[in-house]
Amino acid sequence: MKLSACLSLTLGLTCLSAQVTPARLDNALSEPKNWLTYWGDYSAIRHRNLKQVTADNVQNLRLDWIYQTGETGAFETVPLVVDGVMYITAPKGIAVALDAKSGRQLWQYKHAFPPDRKLSGVNRGMAISGDRLFMVTPDSNVVALEAKTGRLIWQAEMAPYKAGSHYGSLAPLVIHDKVLVGISGGEQGVRGFIDAYDIATGKRAWRFWTVPLKGEPGGDTWLGDSAMRGGGPAWMTGTYDPKLNLTYWGVGNPGPDLYGEVRQGDNLYSCSLVALDPDTGQLKWHFQFTPHDLHDWDAEETPMLLDIEWQGKPRKVVMQANRNAFFYILDRVTGEYLTGRPFAPQTWAKGLDDKGRPQLLPNTAPTPDGVKVCPGLAGATNWMAPSYNPDTKLFYIAVRNQCDVFYSEPPIYTEGKAYWGSVFRGATDEKESGSLKAYDPLTGKTAWEFPYQKAPWAGTLSTAGNLVFAGDEDGYLMAFNAKTGKNLWKMNTGARLVTSPITYEVDGRQYVTMPSGGSLLTFALPH
Amino acid sequence: MKTAFLALFAFSCLAQNEQDVASGKALFRSNCAFCHGLTAAGGRGPSLISPRLIHNTSDTDVKAIIKNGIAGTTMPAFESLQTDDLDHLVNYIRNLAGSDVKAATITGDVAHGRQVYSANGCANCHRVGNQGSIYGPELTRIGAARSADYLKQSIVDPSADILPEYQGVTVATKDGKKVRGVRINEDNFSVQIRKSDQTFAMLDKSDLQSVTSETKSLMPAYRLPMKDLGDLIAYMETLRGNINAAKDAEKAKGIH
Repeated sequence: MKLSACLSLTLGLTCLSAQVTPARLDNALSEPKNWLTYWGDYSAIRHRNLKQVTADNVQNLRLDWIYQTGETGAFETVPLVVDGVMYITAPKGIAVALDAKSGRQLWQYKHAFPPDRKLSGVNRGMAISGDRLFMVTPDSNVVALEAKTGRLIWQAEMAPYKAGSHYGSLAPLVIHDKVLVGISGGEQGVRGFIDAYDIATGKRAWRFWTVPLKGEPGGDTWLGDSAMRGGGPAWMTGTYDPKLNLTYWGVGNPGPDLYGEVRQGDNLYSCSLVALDPDTGQLKWHFQFTPHDLHDWDAEETPMLLDIEWQGKPRKVVMQANRNAFFYILDRVTGEYLTGRPFAPQTWAKGLDDKGRPQLLPNTAPTPDGVKVCPGLAGATNWMAPSYNPDTKLFYIAVRNQCDVFYSEPPIYTEGKAYWGSVFRGATDEKESGSLKAYDPLTGKTAWEFPYQKAPWAGTLSTAGNLVFAGDEDGYLMAFNAKTGKNLWKMNTGARLVTSPITYEVDGRQYVTMPSGGSLLTFALPH
Repeated sequence: MKTAFLALFAFSCLAQNEQDVASGKALFRSNCAFCHGLTAAGGRGPSLISPRLIHNTSDTDVKAIIKNGIAGTTMPAFESLQTDDLDHLVNYIRNLAGSDVKAATITGDVAHGRQVYSANGCANCHRVGNQGSIYGPELTRIGAARSADYLKQSIVDPSADILPEYQGVTVATKDGKKVRGVRINEDNFSVQIRKSDQTFAMLDKSDLQSVTSETKSLMPAYRLPMKDLGDLIAYMETLRGNINAAKDAEKAKGIH
């Protein structure tokens, strides 16, 4: 076992003031008591080697404490837990530190918006490095906060503030001496980017434009000057392989979302996965899941990094259950496409060719009179995190079964207004549904499936207690037997669940935390 | 030269107008068409091109309704729409009303329609004011809320459009009992049903053998003589009460 100060009881007090070093981030899975990044570690496996709560005793799990943010709006945070302290974000630029055992507040930071900015923006969480926390704000700033007090250390502007344009929503990713962030605004006619800032000074170290211009590689995949408003936001945190020193980021939809005539071409790097050198921002490879997307199928779903046996040989891969309803496995060294299969009902592609490019079915592009396509605009899954259990070798996905009717109209770009290229509506001839699916990524087979009444927006968590935790649209936080799919425990939290649960341990007690409504709910077994 | 200038001016006006109409159309389709229909002739919401609405409602009134919604109805408030959005939207609705699309005109014997309503036992499931049952949709203001075409379809073919909040469900309990009614809520673990006797059944799915969504409406299809049907619709068109109006609500007793 790797020696770490925090694993030693005798150094417990030192631990409280310990720095979150790059080595700790590289080896976050060896500290299952903590949750050190948005994904819990760099690979986004979201499996924790904690065994106090198991399939045999989870029926005794009960609410231990609640923290109420007092804020309305989607509460999409995924907490960090570092040596007994929990760090969360809430809408409106709020960051909070809590005692992870009691839920008592240690400090709260409120972003200072200039008076003309009344923003309620969603936020998905923070990153930590050393004794600093990093958060993006609804007005497109990156802030560095002192982890012990919440005091602002520096603030950097990702994009000049304009109402109805760029905004910030994701949890940053710290790699070495830089904090990586991406911009949101895929429906606002922005040109997307991924940035890195020096964690000591806040100075921008590099910018990767997710939408290349004419003359740049990939710039010829955009008609005319359409790339300038080409979208390609990066609103979900990337993953990172320390050995390859590559970071993997999903890129969002091209703009205008539903009207492609003005942006003929493949529209790189929209709806793609890009592998970047985190020190320079240089593109190492890319893979585009949905060329010339017309259905808003951002590739923002978790790019999970796993080392698996592929056709008899060990292989470093990246897996993604994509919004377009296909499950992809790529070689993460080279970006080579290995396989892709539908994991949910879809009506837009006959299949994928041997390079992974979709073979489109006719009559699936939006029209003025509307075309029904499955999955719908929100996709077969979305930002809610999947998880992978190395023991069962199953991938646990929240699946959305829902179709939309897509309309298209030539769009008119107006600064500060949405740039959709028309509209979509839910298909009314069938009820939406969903499921928790235990999916074998190698065979494409479903090991088990728990049906949901409604299409979910909450992700999954896997633990060594042979458990999968998941959330549904009716507000149930649920626990399942990871092998059989039997529902073992549930709790109606009272609001729809729109993020993914985490687990951690403090003083020998395992906790499970899930945001719901404006409340952060934490569960544990009785003392 | 002057002619050319005028032509250019006219062209740019036309182009601007086309843009405004396109903008209004996009706004209408994304915000309004779901209930009012793609042609605004009505659906789950009233027709917006009926002579009554077109002639008796000013642009200012329509914009206020869109912005604020109508309390006590399913018309929500579209607070985020900007002034120019509202202008384009109302302009587009007026354009639709001026096109070939015509809402059905209603003629019929209202008094006889009321008798048809009574004779067919509509009140066993529906409520008008304080009279009738809460099992089916309330009809107190149905004349204002639905087009005549929609009402006709709802009577002769109620399964054509079933509101999600009136979806029928039949459950079988493990001890062999069946419960049928309106599905108020169904999640992964429980189901709440309004029964025809106007009481709730609140059930835990672990106690049930099956939960079956009805594919047809709980309301039977009525095959009425043409005249009766026309008169019934004419009567329903007169139902325009405000279910939240203070004058209809009972006064609190014992408070002075």
